[in-house]
Amino acid sequence: MNTTHDPDSDAAGGPAVERARELLAQSVEHLDGRVRSRLTQARHAALEEIEQRRGARAWTSWVPAGAAAAIAVMAVTMWSQAPREVAPQARNAVVLEDIELLADGEMFDLSEEDFDFYEWAANEAETDGDEREG
Amino acid sequence: MGASATLPRAYNMAVADRDGHDLQDAIRERKRALDQFFLSVERKAFRIAQLSLRHEDDALDAVQDAMLQLARAYGARPAEEWKPLFYRILENRVRDMQRRRAVRAKIMAWLPFRGGDEGEAEDDPIAQVPSPAAGPVTQLEQAEAMGALEGVLGRLPARQRQAFLLRSFEGLDVAQTAKAMGCSEGSVKTHYFRAVHALRSEMAEYAT
Repeated sequence: MNTTHDPDSDAAGGPAVERARELLAQSVEHLDGRVRSRLTQARHAALEEIEQRRGARAWTSWVPAGAAAAIAVMAVTMWSQAPREVAPQARNAVVLEDIELLADGEMFDLSEEDFDFYEWAANEAETDGDEREG
Repeated sequence: MGASATLPRAYNMAVADRDGHDLQDAIRERKRALDQFFLSVERKAFRIAQLSLRHEDDALDAVQDAMLQLARAYGARPAEEWKPLFYRILENRVRDMQRRRAVRAKIMAWLPFRGGDEGEAEDDPIAQVPSPAAGPVTQLEQAEAMGALEGVLGRLPARQRQAFLLRSFEGLDVAQTAKAMGCSEGSVKTHYFRAVHALRSEMAEYAT
């Protein structure tokens, strides 16, 4: 049996097919109100989808700009909170100041009066310095 | 200097504004075209889905899903591609529903209590109201012929039914039907020929 067929002759299909087509067309014409209403709702929902997707696309187009801004803020924050490198000149000034302090006889007298305090202060200074370098 | 400095900026703003309007116009136009397309296919699509699923609400759900999917995934495609794509999506949706229904039926067969929502449409008095478009005798004859047609179409293998409905009812050509069915044009011709053959023999008494 030859199963392939000329599509042009298929389109006619004889009276039975013509009747089937007619019946189907009539059934579509006389759909009840509930079905028509549901179809209209479905159509509107699908069209709404386009609008929503457009909105979502517009929102996502701002994501790269937002990400760049967030990275910039983070970079500035990290930079501003990073420990500063002490300049060599400033370090030398502190050493000279310490020598002057020790050379000063009056100050030395004071140190004798409260030796524990100066020992504690020196330890604190050392610990602070280690932490900065570490 | 001031004028020359502001000119490119003003120009750029005008171009951006024009592009924005162009985009909005294009989207509006696309929505209008899709609306027209859905209007042109929705009723036939519903009937095609209903003939396969034999359930009104499931058919409506299938059509709605197909519309959403087309708008979501293929709305930007050329309008002439929509119809085969839409029916392809619809057919996939129908098949999914049939599969799910078969699984549900198997599960329900094992359960002691079977909550049936299948009979709801039959019990709904509004659904039972006949269409006022034709006289009672004509209506009866049409209902009888329609019942016979639905019976014949229901007994056809799914692919034959699909080929027949897409070609004869929806009016797709062989190439479009092949795209919608995801098969070769030769297969479409074969399925269609067999469907027509069955209809000729079983609908002969209703053919006037």
